[in-house]
Order: sequence, then C-alpha cells, then structure tokens
Amino acid sequence: MRKFSGHSSTFTRAPLLAVAIAAGGMMAALPASAADQVSQERLLNVEKEPGNWLHHHQNYSAHRFSTLKEINKDNVKNLKVAWTMHLGGIEPGGIWSHGGLEGTPIAENGFLYVTDGWGSVYKIDAHGGRGVLVWKMDPKTDRDWAGAVACCGVDNRGVALWGDLVVSHTLDGRLIATNKETGQVAWQRTVANPDKGEVITGAPLIVKNMAITGVAGAEYGIRGWIAATDLSTQKEVWRTYTIPGKGEPGSETWKDSDNAAAAGGGSTWVTGTYDPATDTIIWGIGNPGPDWDNAYRPGDNLYTDSSLALDATTGKIKWHYQHTPNDPYDYDSVAENVLVDIPGPSGPRKLALEADRNGFAYAIDRTTGKFVWGLPFVKKVTWTKGLDPESGKPIEYDPNKPVQTYIASVTPSRTNLETDICPGNMGGKNWPPTAYNPELKLWYIPVIESCNRIKVEVMTPDKLKPREFWTGGGPSQPFRITGSVTAIDVTTGKIAQKMETPFPNLGGMLATPDLVFTGQPSGEVHALDAKSLQKLWEFNTGGGVNAPPMTFTVDGKQYVAILVGLGGAWDKWFIDSTPELKKIQPGSMLYVFAL
Amino acid sequence: MRALPASSTRDVMMIFNGFPATVSALLASVVALNVSMPAAYGQSAQAPASDPSNAGKAVFAKANCLGCHKWHGNGGGGYGGDALSLRKTELTRDQIVETVGCGRPGTGMPFFMRGAYDEVKCHDMNRQDAGAQMPPEGGTFLRQKDIEAVADYVIAHIKGAGEPTYAECVTFFSSTSRVCDIYKTPATKPDDATASMGNRQ
Ligand code: HEC
Repeated sequence: MRKFSGHSSTFTRAPLLAVAIAAGGMMAALPASAADQVSQERLLNVEKEPGNWLHHHQNYSAHRFSTLKEINKDNVKNLKVAWTMHLGGIEPGGIWSHGGLEGTPIAENGFLYVTDGWGSVYKIDAHGGRGVLVWKMDPKTDRDWAGAVACCGVDNRGVALWGDLVVSHTLDGRLIATNKETGQVAWQRTVANPDKGEVITGAPLIVKNMAITGVAGAEYGIRGWIAATDLSTQKEVWRTYTIPGKGEPGSETWKDSDNAAAAGGGSTWVTGTYDPATDTIIWGIGNPGPDWDNAYRPGDNLYTDSSLALDATTGKIKWHYQHTPNDPYDYDSVAENVLVDIPGPSGPRKLALEADRNGFAYAIDRTTGKFVWGLPFVKKVTWTKGLDPESGKPIEYDPNKPVQTYIASVTPSRTNLETDICPGNMGGKNWPPTAYNPELKLWYIPVIESCNRIKVEVMTPDKLKPREFWTGGGPSQPFRITGSVTAIDVTTGKIAQKMETPFPNLGGMLATPDLVFTGQPSGEVHALDAKSLQKLWEFNTGGGVNAPPMTFTVDGKQYVAILVGLGGAWDKWFIDSTPELKKIQPGSMLYVFAL
Repeated sequence: MRALPASSTRDVMMIFNGFPATVSALLASVVALNVSMPAAYGQSAQAPASDPSNAGKAVFAKANCLGCHKWHGNGGGGYGGDALSLRKTELTRDQIVETVGCGRPGTGMPFFMRGAYDEVKCHDMNRQDAGAQMPPEGGTFLRQKDIEAVADYVIAHIKGAGEPTYAECVTFFSSTSRVCDIYKTPATKPDDATASMGNRQ
C-alpha cells in the first residue's frame, strides 16, 4: 500500500478513491438498468448505438469503423486535447524493465473502460468534458512469474463487457469478471499457465454468453489453444488446440520423430472475429516453434501461420487457410481477420481479410476457406517471388518437401545460418489492428516497412526447457525500419494509397466516414483524409503511441481516445532499427480529444 | 518507502539532460513514475546484509542484466540474440569488470561505463574506431564501484553454478511469486523457502 508521502498526486488521489467507493456502494444497492446490461443482442447490433464502442475491434467483424462524423475532414484541424489521465502499470517484472499500453478503450454510455500493461482495469467517467476515475481493479498480477515468459512486453489490450461485468485477462493467465458498478472482482478463473510458458495479452471476445481467450507463448514452447469460458457457470465450454494431437487431422503435417508438435507454438494472442450468420469464430494463429529452425519440425506445421474458422458452439475446426507453411521466418498469422461483404458477379462475396507478418494481404472466402486474392502490402519482399494466383501459396512452396526453403539464398536454414529477410520478423503487419471503411470499401493497414537479420541456432530436444526461450535463433537490427499506412481497395484487391511514415506503425487504425486516425511511436497522433491519406491534423503526445485510437460520444459530443505508453516488443528487441525511439520514456497516459 | 539509491535518481536526471529543453519539460512529469522502477527491483533483490555481494545483486537487477541473462545468469537465445551463460563463463573478475564496463564489440552485450568509447577508450578504441562494431549502451550507467560489485556477485553466485535450483531462485526473488515453482523437486521441501521469504513487506 502507498502511504501519504507528501507527494502531491497521492494527496489528490486519496479523496477521489474514497468518493468512488461511496458512490460505488450506493449504486450497487440499486438495480442496474437494462440499458447498462450488455447482451448478445446489443453486441450483435452495435450500429444502433454509434456513440458507444462495445467490442475490442468495434464490431464482430473487426471493422474499427465509426459512423460518427461530428469530427470530419473539414473541421479536424480544430481537434484539441479535451482531457488526459495518467494511468499506472509501468512497473518492471521478469525480463521487462517497464510495462506499456497497447489497449483499445471500451466506451459505454459515457464511461470508458481501459487496462494497463499489468492488467489493472480503470473505469473512467467521461461526462462533462473531463475524465474522473470511478474505480480501479488491480488484479495483483504475479509480475516476476509472468514477466519472465512474456516474449514481447508487459501488455494487455483491453476489456470486454457482458451483463453487469467487465471481463478482462491478466498476463499471469487469469480471466477476471469485475462488477461494472462497484469495481469488485465478481469471480476469476485460471485459463493459462505461465509455468508452461503461457501468458495472456489479448482482450476477450464475448460470443453468446462465453468469453473467448487466446494465449501467447510460441517463443517458449507452448502448444497453442483458443478457450471458451461460460460466463454464467464460469466453466470451460471448449478448448481447441491449434496444433493437432496425435492422429487428429493435421497431425500428419508434423513429420519429425522428436514430437515437435508438443511444443509446436501456434499462439492466439490477438482477439479474433465472429460471423453470427454461420456461428463461426475466425481467429489468427501464430508462428511455429522453434521460430527459425524449421528443419526441427519438417512438414507444413498446421495450424500455425493460419486463419482458423471454428464452430462457436463446439469449438470444432471448420476450415483453415495457411499462409506460410513450415515457416522459417517467424511470420505469424496471429492478426485479426476482418469480415467484409462485397458485391460480386453472383451475389455478395463474404470475405475474411488478413494482413500477415509475411508482407502479404489476403482475402479468403469465409464460407469455404478458399483463397480469393492476395498482394504484397509492404514495399519490400525478398523471401518469395509472390503468391500462386490459384492457391495463394508462396510460388516456391513445394508440398512434397518436408522442409521449405522458399528463396533459399535469403531463407534462414541449417545451411544459411545468418541471413537478412524482408519483411523482418515483426512484419509486415503485427498485432496493431487494421480498420475498414465499408462505404469507401477501403481497408487500412498499419505497416512495418522492414528488413532484419536472422541468426539460426540448430535445436535439439534437450534444449527444450520449461520457461526458457525455444526460438532456434534470434533477430538483430542492422537496418533502419520505417512504416506506412497502406489502403487497399477491397473490390479490386489493389493498393489504393500508401502514406509513408518515419517510424513503423505500432498502434493501429481507426476509420470514420471521411477520416482515418493513427499514431507513431515517436509520439504523434494523426488524422488522415480517408481517400488520399493526406495528413489533416497532428498532435504530439510526448510519449510513444503503441495503441489504436477509438471514438465515442458523451452527451452527444464526439471524442477520440488513445492510450499512450511505448512498451511491447519493439522497445526491447527492435529499438536498434529506430534509434531515435530510445529517447522515448516509459509512460502510461490516456489522451482524449474533441473539437 | 522510497529507499532509492541516490545514484539511480542521478542516472535518470542525466538522461534528461541530454534532451532539448522542451522535451525535458514534457518528460519531467514522467520522472515520478520512473524512479519507482529500480525501487521495485531493489525490494525483491535484497540479500541478507551479511552477504558481501548484496550490493552486486542489486546492480544485477537495477542494470537489468537479468533482462538478457535471466535471473539465473544462464542467458539463452530468443528475440534478443544469445546472451552467453554466466554460469558457464570462464572469465576472471577483471575480465568481467572489463566486459561490463566496455560491453563486447560486435555483440549485443552493452557497455555500462559512462564515457566508454568517448572519454575512456575501450579495447583501445573510441566510438569512431569501433564503427559498426560499437556495442549498445546499457540502460543505466554504473559507477566503477557498482561494476566491481556486480562482477563480485557473478563470481560468488553465478559462475560455475550448475542448473538453477529452487533454493537459488527463492534466494534471488525473496518473494511469494510463483516464479520459482518450476524448480521445485520432490527433494525441495517447501520449508526451504520460508526462511528467505521473511522480508516481504
Ligand atoms: C541487452 C542484453 C544484455 C544485457 C542487458 C547484459 N548483457 Fe551481458 N551479454 C549479452 C550478450 C548478447 C553477451 C554475449 C556476447 C558474445 O556473444 O560474446 C553477453 C556477455 C556477457 C559476459 C561475457 C560472458 C563470457 O563468458 O564471455 C558477461 C560477463 C556479461 N555479459 C555480464 C553482464 C552483466 C553483469 C550485465 C549487467 C550489468 C549484463 N551482462 C547485461 C547481453 C546482455
């Protein structure tokens, strides 16, 4: 417990918390109104409440598109800071010297719900043009335990709402339900186990009374999964492993004799999407392990680097589409699959869009899992000559070869122990989310324009140890890395626009009818013209933007909110490619803008 | 409660001095948050006062040696490249002092001595001579006394040790974290842990 130390912030915060507790106590006695209860009905129809932002990815299709247009391209130049709030959660733990902010705020009826890197949840009253902390739920994450096996930072990407609960994850593997009014923990359940190298960084996806959880840890020899918890009974409904068990379909794609599949990776740490028409969850699956020694795990290594469609009720796999079979690059396909319907010659085409770490953007038919189109969205790709126009597989892919080499001269392998790859292993596009404007049919990708150097370490079974890295090598950063926002016309599958930036895009996108919002790890928040991607507004937050913007209304007035606090993988492992970012200090701050 | 060594506060301030005035003003508000970080490590990194390498262990945490070499010093591959095992090192105390002060050119091992390759040549090189071989700069600078202390700690507790054990782990963390659970063996009585868990606040 912090004591009064004469530090001014301690003095101001103490009475505030006392008020919060009194108010919380009163409100708990009142029945919560139906309007404040989040139901499947409301989650399915978010377009009916455009002032709220109820899903991590805005809607079940991950459009991150808001129809609000009080702030538009004519007046965005007048956008100003309305209020800010300092948050916590930058404490060190494990191998990490500080936490960061990667979350998307959730907004409901004038209240914001945000998380910090260690999983504390903050409820903030945004009425009256200012932010007031209502409560903070600190889950007391076991920092040393979880931080030692978090490959890529002390991160938490946010909450979900259900009934009168705020549902969130912690890095140390818990699913926590907090009472929305009081901030008291209603219940918690252990879903992942850091003793096995499993941690959780993603926001939960709520589908029909279930919280869907993804896991991280492919750098620590996990066998990935997606799990569904019943929010009424708090019991597990299903858990689907992303690496098939012995004898299951797909197990034939692990051809080694060392049981590589048991530690085969396939993490699921980015929140997926849901198609209610077919009751299908679509989720991105991460890299195989060990990351860079693909000769350790001959075969295509399903379902790593794939988009996976699951029956939401049973968790059964409906289809998969793999992007980089037998991946030697760490080219995760963990990204969100964006669900869009576009007019086609024989009725609407139902697509799932994914921007991959491997540098290619894909459209898959989400009914069948078949490839529709694909194109490189980065400026430089060196590992393949391109995609086969029929199958969408890299042209060099040979299904009869146990170990893929693609363009062998650049591909990391046991005979090419040190090599440069483009995109670098961070991508392409990493976790920062895309946005889709359904009116313009433009899809905006936050891009890392990169190359980096990979050193391969030949792995043997004795090197596999609990809670120790299982990567088969590592990257280094001899090249400067930049970024871009790249817009793809989904009707043609072609690049419509590219706006280059000095730094990689580590935050992600928000789309409104005629604008897109995004940020830079050097501190700037940008508003761009939705068509030309011309910069119309900029504000420097003085921190590093590592999280996506979102928008909401309170009492009819539109606001744009973004968390600012550079953390994550970049800060520790990739900073040499962006030396100026070494100056960015750890921080933890919520910015809210209005006209 | 803020039992912060004076040196780490100074390190933070020195970093700010490298900034243009406007940036420092903006960042000044973050200082309060920053200074609590080493303190959190300090809490869990306290060895019994009788142990002469007590100070070195605090440096090992504060300078974030454990960020690359892990708490047990065994290092390992991964995203950051291969930090060598300090358990298997054959370096002498003097060589460790030099490695920490000057880093290791051409590798990811940072230098921790203020002015290395500038006022003080390292391996007979300045920044220009080192060129692309220039090692990265440590997250904090260490005084000569701290560098010697961390070398003493490596010699006394890490060099030559075998695989990490439960007892070593609970001594390092002195906390109730579950970080050590995987080192438990049937032979490790839970009682072993309680002795060193006493100083949890
Ligand atoms: C950013 C990561 C990083 C940090 C932080 C770091 N090291 Fe290292 N260290 C390395 C790497 C990588 C090597 C291996 C260099 C090589 O390949 O020769 C290394 C090598 C060493 C060696 C040489 C071992 C040998 O046998 O040759 C010593 C000693 C050492 N480190 C001590 C320390 C101490 C003490 C600290 C804290 C003050 C520290 N290191 C902090 C990455 C790091």
